[in-house]
Formats: sequence, C-alpha cells, structure tokens
Amino acid sequence: MTSHEPSALVGAYALDALDEPERELLEAHLAHCADCAAEVASLRAAAAELSHTSATEAPEPLRDQLLSAIGRIRPLPPRAGITTLRPRSARRWLWPAVAAACALIAVITAGWGVQEHRQLAGHRIAPTALSSVFDSADVASASVPVGSSGHATLIYTKAKHRIVLIGQDIPLLPADRTYQMWMLQPNGIATSAGVFRPDHNGRVLVQASGDLNRTAQMGISIEHVGGAPQPTPGAIIAHITI
Amino acid sequence: MSDVRFTRAAGTRRQPAEVPGGVPELAELLAASARGDEQAFAALYDQTSARVYGMVLRVVRDPAQAAEVTQDVYLQVWREAARFDPGLGAVPTWLLMIAHRRAVDRVRSARSATQREDRYAATHTDRPYDEVSERAQANLEAQRVRNALHGLTDAQREAISLAYFAGYTHREVAALLDLPLGTAKTRIRDGLIRLRDALGVSDD
Repeated sequence: MTSHEPSALVGAYALDALDEPERELLEAHLAHCADCAAEVASLRAAAAELSHTSATEAPEPLRDQLLSAIGRIRPLPPRAGITTLRPRSARRWLWPAVAAACALIAVITAGWGVQEHRQLAGHRIAPTALSSVFDSADVASASVPVGSSGHATLIYTKAKHRIVLIGQDIPLLPADRTYQMWMLQPNGIATSAGVFRPDHNGRVLVQASGDLNRTAQMGISIEHVGGAPQPTPGAIIAHITI
Repeated sequence: MSDVRFTRAAGTRRQPAEVPGGVPELAELLAASARGDEQAFAALYDQTSARVYGMVLRVVRDPAQAAEVTQDVYLQVWREAARFDPGLGAVPTWLLMIAHRRAVDRVRSARSATQREDRYAATHTDRPYDEVSERAQANLEAQRVRNALHGLTDAQREAISLAYFAGYTHREVAALLDLPLGTAKTRIRDGLIRLRDALGVSDD
C-alpha cells in the first residue's frame, strides 16, 4: 500500500490529525468505501480507549453548571432517517485522481491560502466543493510544472464542469501581478476561469467552473492584478491538456 | 518524551473502577436524555466525565479551558442525544470523538499564533499533571489500555500520543519527529491497528 492512497489516511483521521482539505477528501472517499469506513469506526473506538489513561475527575462546579444549563435547552428531535458514514452503495471510486490529489495535498500545510473562483476575497471553498468534484464518476487529473520547482494539478469533472486547481511551490508574484486560469478551446478561443495568487508559501487551492466539453487545455498566465479579458500574448506560462 | 507516561509503572492510589457492562447502560441513559430525562443525563455525565474531562485537559492543558470545552461537549451531547447513531459506534466512542474534535480545535486555533513556542514545549517540557496521570494508574481500564500500548513500538506510541494527546496533525507529527510524511501516517495507522487488535475493540 502506498501512503498516497486515501486508506493510508484513516489512522490520522481517527485521531483528528488531518488538515481540513485532507479530511474532506477522506470523508468523500468514506461515503463509498465500506472497508475504509469500517476501519475508521474501529480505529476511532481504539482511540477513544486512550482516554482511560488520562481519566481525571472533572471539577465539581462543572456538573452543577451543566445540569442547570440543560434545563434551558431542548434536545433536538431525531433526524428524519439517520444518516451515517456507512456507504450507501458500492459505487466504484476512481482512485488515480484521488491518489494524485492526496499526494499534492500532503504537501500543503495548515494555514494555507484558499481562494475562490474569480477572486472572491475571503471566501473559502465550500465544504462540499471538493467532494463534489472528487465524488464525480468521471473525475480525472492532470499536472504540469510551474516555475523552477512548482507544480499545478487540476482535478476536474467534465460531467459537472468543475475544476479544482491545487498548486505547490508556485512562484510568488509582484504585488501588481496575478495568475489567471484559462479554458482554451481548439479553435483558439480563451475563456477566463478566474484569477488567483499563491499564499506566501507558494500554495494554491482554487475552484472554477465552465464549459469543459469544449475545453482542450487549461492555461495559466501572468497578468496585471484584476486579470485580463484575453490572455496577454506570450503570458501563458503553463498549458495543461485535459 | 510524551509517551513515557504510558509505560510508567502502576501507581498505588485508588480510582473507582468503571461499571462493568456500562456500555449498554450508557446507550439507555443517552436514549433517555434524548427524551429530556435530566437524571439520566446526570448519570451519563457521572459515568463518562472523567474520561472526557481528562482527555480534554491533556490536550488543552489548561484546567479552565478544559472545563469550558467539557461543558460544550456535554451541551452538544444533550442537544444531539437523539441523533446518536449506534450503528457508528459505542456511546463512549461518540462522546470522546466529539470531545477530541473540540479539544483539538481549541488548541489548533490557539497554536496558530504561537506555533514555535508550542512545538518547543511539546518536545522539551514535561507536562504539569503527572500526578493526574498517576491517579489514573490504578484504574483497571487504564491499566488494560497501558498494557495494550506496550505492544506498540516506541515510535508508534510516540506518534499516536503526539496526535491524540497533543493535538498535532500528522504533518506536524512528521515535522516534530523529523520523519517523512508517509512514515508518520503509517506509524499512526499501524499503531492504532495494533492497539485496536490488542484491546479487542470493535466499532459496535
């Protein structure tokens, strides 16, 4: 087993030791992989046993505070039809893209920068956005080097017209420049898929959407801040065939 | 290193043993809590709070914060008691899962500001509540877990302890121990599997 398979993350997941993007990836995987879901459940049970070794009487006042507080709180009703992490079906999960994503995300550490499509400042990628891509039956991936030591990997689904771009060691830019992602058609038409800047460690996580059926390649260009309506000639630094 | 306390010889102070067969009883108490039975909830708290509070304290290190987190945990348990899914595991596993996530969230948000100092502290200082750990030594359950932990390699125990009790991510564990990422992940997973098999725990 290689460490890039999602199943390699189940131990860290059971100890709440995954970073947020990894956790989302794995949870998307658990919804379809009965073996991993069962292993997570058993490892969580084992982890909970560790708490026997640190058992400590809680401070006395806590009990009274708590019991007086619950008098003012109404318990929630059961959910209509309990949902569980147990897989509902045995639909096949496509591994290669996930393995690629895990391999990449494995180098992205806590505190990374997340930017959304069209530079919606302050927005994080919605919790479901990654899984909606990774969950697709047609999920695929492609990678390209950027700069001297960087990589950009696209995870995409043509069926849902969604793209996630994951970058590491992406060269930093002067304050007045930005990266811009393009959908390039065979006939030369370029459509912007949004602008992004790496965080100070050169990491990127961006999502975009657009008509991927007509897209032959994704391009990344360097433009003036705010982006360009069309790629500046010669500004495209990376092409990724999808 | 932080796993030392796992291997320390058993102390002599007494701690009440857990109620045998407590697990089905906890499920009943939780079900009654979901219907608004405050007495049942109090009994649930009495049977589980030492494990919850002790773990949270170990992670967040500060008694006042540990009490806050523990209170939040039990308020969540009270609100969501009806949503406990026995298909996903036993009641203590659920409680400890909620508690661990909250404790880890607490230390990670605090840690982002003072990461360097904290890493230093995690590797170079002894934690201030050894006496607490010793109190737990006499607990039969604690001894059973400690025995099972003996079956792990030192490296596995260390990685699991840093992740579970110090709240580090596997990436931080790798950095702290100067290991490749894949190695840290593997140690955590293999160690947990070994612990699970030694304890004979299952997910239901």
